[in-house]
Amino acid sequence: MSQILEDIKKNLIAGRVDSEDEGFDEEMTGQPGVTELVAKALEENITPSDILTSALTPGMEEVGKLFEEGEYLVPDMLASAECVAEATKILKPHLVDSDVKNKGIFLIATVEEDLHDIGKNIVGTILYGSGYEVEDLGTSIKAQAIVDAVKRTNAPYLGLSALLTSTMNHMKEVIDLLKEAGLRDRVTVCVGGAPISEEFAEKIGADLYGEDAFNIIHKLENRAQAN
Amino acid sequence: MKVKRRNMLSAEECRIVHEGSCRLLEETGVETENTEAKEIFVRHGASVQNGRIRIPRTVIEEFIKKTGKRIELGAKNARYAFTIESGLPVNFFGTGGQALYIVEKKDDGFEKRPAGSGDLERILRLCEQLENVDFVTRPVEPDVPDDEMDLEKTRIFLRSTTKHMNLANLIQKDKLPAILKQVNDRSLVSFISCVCISPLKLAGGTVEKFLRIVGEDIPVAISSCPQAGLTAPLSELGEIMQVNAEVLSAVILANMVRPGARLFYRGIPITTNLQEDVSPRWCQPDSIRRVSLITDMTHFYGIPCCGTAAVSDETEPTAQAVSEKTLSWVYEAAGGAALINSALGMLERVMTVSPEQYIIDDRILGAVKHLFDAYEDKPTSELAEEAVVQALDMFGLKADGGGREEIRSRIRFVETKREEYSADAVQTQIETITKAVLSGKSSNIFLKASRSGLRKGLLYSGKKIEGPLDLTEIERKKISLDASRDR
Repeated sequence: MSQILEDIKKNLIAGRVDSEDEGFDEEMTGQPGVTELVAKALEENITPSDILTSALTPGMEEVGKLFEEGEYLVPDMLASAECVAEATKILKPHLVDSDVKNKGIFLIATVEEDLHDIGKNIVGTILYGSGYEVEDLGTSIKAQAIVDAVKRTNAPYLGLSALLTSTMNHMKEVIDLLKEAGLRDRVTVCVGGAPISEEFAEKIGADLYGEDAFNIIHKLENRAQAN
Repeated sequence: MKVKRRNMLSAEECRIVHEGSCRLLEETGVETENTEAKEIFVRHGASVQNGRIRIPRTVIEEFIKKTGKRIELGAKNARYAFTIESGLPVNFFGTGGQALYIVEKKDDGFEKRPAGSGDLERILRLCEQLENVDFVTRPVEPDVPDDEMDLEKTRIFLRSTTKHMNLANLIQKDKLPAILKQVNDRSLVSFISCVCISPLKLAGGTVEKFLRIVGEDIPVAISSCPQAGLTAPLSELGEIMQVNAEVLSAVILANMVRPGARLFYRGIPITTNLQEDVSPRWCQPDSIRRVSLITDMTHFYGIPCCGTAAVSDETEPTAQAVSEKTLSWVYEAAGGAALINSALGMLERVMTVSPEQYIIDDRILGAVKHLFDAYEDKPTSELAEEAVVQALDMFGLKADGGGREEIRSRIRFVETKREEYSADAVQTQIETITKAVLSGKSSNIFLKASRSGLRKGLLYSGKKIEGPLDLTEIERKKISLDASRDR
């Protein structure tokens, strides 16, 4: 593998988006991060596909392994996922004609009357870094607006977040409106947030409950393989 | 309970925190959608720039000084009425939370189910009989529609307790006159307003309700509960500066509306489980330390403090719950928090309450109070260690060997400062917080910024204290108290 691809992978694992990032080591500040290295790799005519498959994807796999082993914590995962997200933005215009597949549009929203965005933001970054095209609808989004977004984008995935017991019932409202609009079968509805549980997800007719972003990604991958 | 207050922050450190918070309010500002609040701030000397309300130092200090220093809290039974006076070293312990579930011992272990109106009444009646419950804050909400909740909650309180009633959050602002009419004597009630959303935001709808409560001159606790590493910096200095700025912004607003407003400062700077699932850590030594530090700031300002203690992270009554709750009570009481909220019954990070836990906590609190008298002139660390040892012993567990060392390790963590409080450190934290609030994805900024702090050991990592609790006597008492309340 070329040196620059090694460097991209190394900086992704360190979670360094750009030269201002220190990662784990203050000495690294000032040295190129993932975004600068990806831009340089493209200038050197390394293909977007190679950058993705030889650097970004194996880098993220290594990060996932380190997280499972307890070596990496949530902020480390997030830093690395951000690297992938930012690198993907640079690669996107070059990927149009490539054979690299986008996993599909993933809409995310915090439901009506709920202003909490923490979980949604973390999940959104990690989903983006995992190859989904994420559209973040924001916080306190009315059920009809969410359904309208599903219709507009034809998104195959919808993630709903709620942090309050008083707002979680809006999730059922979204699902009911999807049914009324004839959209329910076209979208996989994932739900999450502190008061949410597997039982609640089942009760309201959601497809998947995610304890966290990685949990949702694994469940989606398992579902895709099963299909 | 009277205590000899023990502070963890020096006067100079308090001043540094104050300076940092003032700079946050002046330079970064707070955000709110509430137009009325913006107008009030501007009318009294603040400015709005790029949607953020910036409050000059002179305005900050002018309006903090106006806060009421004395708050009388009445009760249907006059012997339960009490007065809070800023600077007086007295603690009052109460319930709290907005739990969704109740967990209770059945034949084959603890069973968990959703909580409702019946549980609210039962818990209030139980707490009416517990000696160490000085006031009651709503533990669970009644399971009625939103537009009935305020009055139904008040009705349940009125028939179930003769202690001071903190109704916690006001669900609908227009219900306040009806609530006050229902209680008749308005000194019987107070509220909590979760008006601050971290980082540096005053929640629009909640501000309206907050201003109504202040307008009616009802005592209200201003609550802000950031999570270090997620909605505030992982840095202790950064988090304390931020939560202080958040609470002060609401203190200032209240005093602009009603000089001499009767407010409690309820800052709850806790940490986050950054190892696994970013859930809040309410009762770990890192959080116990930070919650205690913020009480020092309330004394710095002379604002009555509503502390929070003993919200265990455990899901049911366990030895770990006993140990972490006891440590939490000791440090919060030692810090001189006048009201100590959520102090009994709470489990699973505010999500769950347990009838057994109320009785367990009441029993331990009684012993803790005696220890404060006996250990008046001894270091807090010795008091804390003895308190935890005695608490475990009450339920048949001996803390020896590894258990004793774990207790000491937690106490050392609570009492050890890990960061310098300096102008440079303040500047670094202001830059992180400002970047976070302006980015629109503050959690990402705080999480990434926490990486080095995590490796420097800012979060405690220890062993759980385990072992079966003998709850025979607790169960007996529960049955007896349930029977008494039904008479």
